[in-house]
Amino acid sequence: MTKLGAIFWIGLVLASGFTTFKVKYAVQEIDDELTRVRKQAIAEQQEIRVLAAEWSYLNQPERLAELNRVLLQLAPLTARQLQQRIEDIAWRAPPAAPGTLVAANQPASHPSAGATPFAMPPAAALPSAMPAGEMSPDAAGALAAAVTVLGAGTAVPAPQLRLAKAAPGSLDALIARIADTR
Amino acid sequence: MQAALRLDENPCRPRHFRPPPPCTPIVPDERQAALLETCRARLVMTAAVFAVVFLVVALRLAGMALLSGGAAEASAGRVRSLTAPPPARADIVDRNGQLLATTLNSPSLYADARQILDAGEATRAILSVLPQLNAADIHAKLSSGKSFVWIKRRLTPRQQYDINRLGIPGLQFENEERRIYPYADLASHVVGFSGIDNNGLAGIERALDGTVKNSSGPLKLSLDARVQFILHQELTRVIDEFSAKGGAGIIMDVHTGEIIAMVSLPDFDPNHPTAADPKLPPSEAKERIFNKITLGVYEMGSVFKIFNTAMALDYGVTSMAKGYDASRPIRIGRFTITDYKGKNRWLSTPEIFMYSSNIASARMAVDAGAERQRNFLGRLGLLKPVPIELDEVGKPHYPNAKSWREINVMTIAYGHGISVTPLHLVTAVAATVNGGVLRRPTLRKVPSGTIPPGEQVMSPKTSENMRKLMRLVVSHGTAKFAAAPGYVVGGKTGTAEKNSGGRYQGKKLLSSFVGVFPMHDPKYAILTMVDEPKGTKQSHGYATAGWTAVPATGRVIQRIGPILGVPAVDEASPAVARALAIESIQGKRIEAY
Repeated sequence: MTKLGAIFWIGLVLASGFTTFKVKYAVQEIDDELTRVRKQAIAEQQEIRVLAAEWSYLNQPERLAELNRVLLQLAPLTARQLQQRIEDIAWRAPPAAPGTLVAANQPASHPSAGATPFAMPPAAALPSAMPAGEMSPDAAGALAAAVTVLGAGTAVPAPQLRLAKAAPGSLDALIARIADTR
Repeated sequence: MQAALRLDENPCRPRHFRPPPPCTPIVPDERQAALLETCRARLVMTAAVFAVVFLVVALRLAGMALLSGGAAEASAGRVRSLTAPPPARADIVDRNGQLLATTLNSPSLYADARQILDAGEATRAILSVLPQLNAADIHAKLSSGKSFVWIKRRLTPRQQYDINRLGIPGLQFENEERRIYPYADLASHVVGFSGIDNNGLAGIERALDGTVKNSSGPLKLSLDARVQFILHQELTRVIDEFSAKGGAGIIMDVHTGEIIAMVSLPDFDPNHPTAADPKLPPSEAKERIFNKITLGVYEMGSVFKIFNTAMALDYGVTSMAKGYDASRPIRIGRFTITDYKGKNRWLSTPEIFMYSSNIASARMAVDAGAERQRNFLGRLGLLKPVPIELDEVGKPHYPNAKSWREINVMTIAYGHGISVTPLHLVTAVAATVNGGVLRRPTLRKVPSGTIPPGEQVMSPKTSENMRKLMRLVVSHGTAKFAAAPGYVVGGKTGTAEKNSGGRYQGKKLLSSFVGVFPMHDPKYAILTMVDEPKGTKQSHGYATAGWTAVPATGRVIQRIGPILGVPAVDEASPAVARALAIESIQGKRIEAY
């Protein structure tokens, strides 16, 4: 009887000791993982700060204006374009027959493109720097039409970025420039 | 003798005989028995103490694990926070959340030269990433055997990545925080800059240093980077066109006092404030850091007739229908007050304002008197520094109460003999057109929908009359080039001769224009100022405000109107015409200037 009791208690001690160690190691592992994840999160947050600064740097109005001059040539809005308030604009006309819509959405190279209001230039007239490959053909065509209309019909000159301030090209270069002068 | 043998040693002891249990030894000696008893008592005492201690530990454990309601877990999480420690200085953003200033960790590279295995190879590798370094210098450092040598301070994130990829043992990074201004010179005078020790040295960085250091979120300014850019660009253009020394501009929301844009040229790049900017004409760093809008005080010239006329109307000295004789110059003491391109006849109040008559304005001011003039300018906040979130604020110059004589009254009427900052002027103009409420100008964003408290400084009726008069200047007077179709611009020009060393120099002008749009329901006030413009062929040799500051302002308004969401209207529409019609000149022909 005593022997049985002793075995029971020793077994219990061993089992509880084993469980304790197991739990302890499991907790340690989770803790390590937590630390790792936290470090990673902090690193990501730092990265986000850098990217936010770079985004801001790339969004300098001067740079955007230059990009617009070279790539889009959109003119500033004039008051004449804004003189109608939204309430003054008529409700949308009833939808046209489906056939018309399809014709208007044809790619620029399609023969029926001539029927659209804009004289669509061939896709080759796109400025070479434009990521034409990433656009759907009709989007590229519409953009080209917009460029042609806004550029007063002249051929778009080969885009050449002249960015006086943004010359370093990236935030890295900006920081490097600062580092050199400090 | 066998009897001497001990019982258990007896080889033939009885089978059923058991020796007594060992715990109760038969101790014949009484002294030994007492000793044993003491030992037992001590053991029991020790065991009891241990038992109590273990019980306490067990209870405490049970209490913490089961009864404390999760306090333990909460405190465990606090040890290491999930977020990075906030940077030493908070971000500064514009009203749309665009970053104007941010703090980035910038790593610096150092080496433990004892761990470098091959200094030559390591030098070559480092130079492949940082080609601007000196090879001999780096080689000497790496083979020095010192435990700490700087290789390069303030690396870019890309360079850090590349160095890490080299995998050279012994190269380490140390993170240092650095302030970055992504928009460079765009809002340099507003944002200011901070030094290498993270203390603000100019602009908002200096004035709100405590806020920037302690705030967890970004500091939101009232500036709009897009509007700031347009103002900056147009001012740069007019400065180039007229070979001017500098210029300044400010745009303010007349209802909230928020400053939407503030430009002072020449400016500087806050990323390296003392380095020369190749884009700008060479000028001293000190001059470029000088904020013309808040720190510079100038005799603003005819622009002051806005306040003179408002004063005369508000005190009832004159009315829209009355007028003054401006046929002859005024001689007072050794001074003569004349009109620039004078009409030499009687002028009504709208005409006085429209043609900017010095003679009639001076007479108007004399009728009001020195006391009322001083009171009125004081109420508009023109006699004390403007309260704003910048340390660079200028003190107005004006005669003290005792020496405020008639001659001062006359010259102050048309903006000479009193110097204020452009910020003073635009703040007072905002109060003049918004219904007569003076509000504190601010560089921090006012939450939309709230109107900060203000002080009524003139009657709403006077304010309405001033709106009509200011519109007249653009529609028929000296500022026709400011007309931005659709935005119903109004304003007042001022061309002041610069005073240096107590003398007016006829050739050195300060041309300014203060505009308000849309005039029938004012939303924004804008002031542009060109310092020492020189006439060009296109301007027929003129460098007056009408040819310099005025067209620039017109262009700015045309471009910022859509951005600020100002509804463009048909200027000929009856509603606008009714709001700005002046009864006293109704039906009369307005002479073109």
